[in-house]
Amino acid sequence: MKNGYNQMSNLNEIIKPYIQIEGGLMPALHAIQEDKGYISKDAISELAKCFNYSKAEVLDVLTYYDDFTLEPHGMNTVRICRAEACQSLKSKELTDDLVSHFDIQLDETTSDSKITLKEVFCLGNCALGPSVMINETVIGEANKDKVIQFLKEIE
Amino acid sequence: MKIYIPNETTSNSVGANHFNTIISNLEGIENIELVRNGSWGAFWLEPFIEVERDGNRIGTCYKDIDLSHLRTIEDFLGDFDSREPFDISEIDFIKKQKRIVFSRIGLGDPLDINLYRENGGFESLKKALSLESQTVIDKVKESGLTGRGGAAFPTGIKMQTVHDQNSPIKYLACNADEGDGGTFSDRLIMESDPFALIEGMAIAAYAVGASKGYLYLRSEYPLAKRFLTSAIDIANKNNLLGSSILSSNFDFEIDLRIGAGSYVCGEETAMMESIEGRRGLVRSKPPLPAINGLFNKPTLINNVVTLATIPPLLNGSLSDFSGMGSGKSIGTMPFQLCGNILQSGLVETGFDISIGEMIEIFGKETKSGKPIHAVQIGGPLGLYLSSEMMSTKLTVESLQSIKGSVGHGGIVIFDDSVEMSEQAKFAMEFCSKESCGKCTPCRIGSIRGVEIIERLQKDKSSQEDIGLLHDLCQTMEATSLCAMGGMTPNPIYSIINNFPGELTKE
Repeated sequence: MKNGYNQMSNLNEIIKPYIQIEGGLMPALHAIQEDKGYISKDAISELAKCFNYSKAEVLDVLTYYDDFTLEPHGMNTVRICRAEACQSLKSKELTDDLVSHFDIQLDETTSDSKITLKEVFCLGNCALGPSVMINETVIGEANKDKVIQFLKEIE
Repeated sequence: MKIYIPNETTSNSVGANHFNTIISNLEGIENIELVRNGSWGAFWLEPFIEVERDGNRIGTCYKDIDLSHLRTIEDFLGDFDSREPFDISEIDFIKKQKRIVFSRIGLGDPLDINLYRENGGFESLKKALSLESQTVIDKVKESGLTGRGGAAFPTGIKMQTVHDQNSPIKYLACNADEGDGGTFSDRLIMESDPFALIEGMAIAAYAVGASKGYLYLRSEYPLAKRFLTSAIDIANKNNLLGSSILSSNFDFEIDLRIGAGSYVCGEETAMMESIEGRRGLVRSKPPLPAINGLFNKPTLINNVVTLATIPPLLNGSLSDFSGMGSGKSIGTMPFQLCGNILQSGLVETGFDISIGEMIEIFGKETKSGKPIHAVQIGGPLGLYLSSEMMSTKLTVESLQSIKGSVGHGGIVIFDDSVEMSEQAKFAMEFCSKESCGKCTPCRIGSIRGVEIIERLQKDKSSQEDIGLLHDLCQTMEATSLCAMGGMTPNPIYSIINNFPGELTKE
């Protein structure tokens, strides 16, 4: 599944279902991240207004969490697991392979905006590592070829 | 005739979805019942495809097999029969386990509520609702169940504390932020037997008097999210959640909340902060969450496996469960055997088993075929044990006596290509990335820790750096609010002590 983001939907409409629920800021942030692909300055203002927070308070919460970003990711996010079970099956070498193949570092996006590389600590796929998650699909016993093949298939 | 193809993260990660697409497009499929079942937890056999004919169910591993040339179901069955399929419940890996909590995984469609009922599902909830809440708590106390999330606190006592609070509003919070590297037991319950968790939550909520439950799931588990969303919906429609559950006067709803990529949010107080919509900063205790928790109300917090263990205790498995083990190590524990190991997967068994036995009986040997060099037990904050320590028992007490912990039951195997100094450095690096930042020794100490270990990698005998590392570890241990900073030194100490000369030469 590619990240097909919607630039037209109204921020207020996205946030509305969460205003009245307890602790609604987190699900509201998730909803915006999912819809827009990032949390824009406009989104921060709208969240602050809807939840009666200052903009600084909203920024304070969202920057704590890895899943929320202030800028859009590439079209596909490739997360390489770096936790212990995957380390024991050479996730470091896999990371090096992918970093050199895409010619970007972790947390960077390719110049054509197609791929963002990230690290992740455990996908719960520890029995068949090393593991890579591409968008929401986990690849077990991963290697460079499997990752490239999968990206080709979803293009 | 039925064909079973698992729909579960690990099975899908090696092709189960792909085989489902192929098989569901074969000629003649309309006469076959195609079931997407859960995984049996024998992950080394995934994708494990089964065929049931005349009540006889057998299966085989389809890893790295190309089926794109098949045209008809007969083609598939011919191929299947040529691969010497077998009954998975007859292999040692499954047969030698003691499955009480994971008794249903793999059987069928995890969202088939009738199948769940046919296998004892919701009998415990029905029974609990006919009992006084105190009687339910007494049964949990009597069982000897301790928390399976990592701290091994007696579950019944925690329930009693919440029960005894005089508050009109109480909450249940299920911690499904299974963040330890090398663990997947919570995920497997949520994906392959989600009603077991829902039933456990409903019983626990009834026992303590909570009418709302939050289920805090990590975002790294998108398939578990899909299963839970559907299972909660189905339970609501079947009067197993919602108001007047099973025509009683008990109301209970479950609100699924998704984490956002923070390890510390698996710590119970940070989890509450996150549910309340703030940064996942750890709170200082007291007050205990059981007295003053979510939204300042008494809150019962348990992890997924702990809650899923409650239904079997009320449904005939109590004596089986409590008959095993002693002290804090009573009942079964789902160990997760993974990393560089041939037969990886979920092993539910009593605690009274050594690491050596665990490997000999279940895991066999490393996947690489090389000798085992190290085994990490209990997640990123757990100890590394050397190949000479294989007789160490996996009980809570045995690991506590060497300053370790069973934690969430993760067992990660490393062969002799592992660099232990790199593992020590990773412990500090992980802490520096995942620290919530509240306690300085954890936030900054971990960064200094990475630097000291990098220097030691160049000169193992530097007395100055060895002294500094010990000082730093002691400070982190003594002055961090939660286990993140407080237990990060554990793997490092264990590398210094159990692997002499590999990080430091004193």
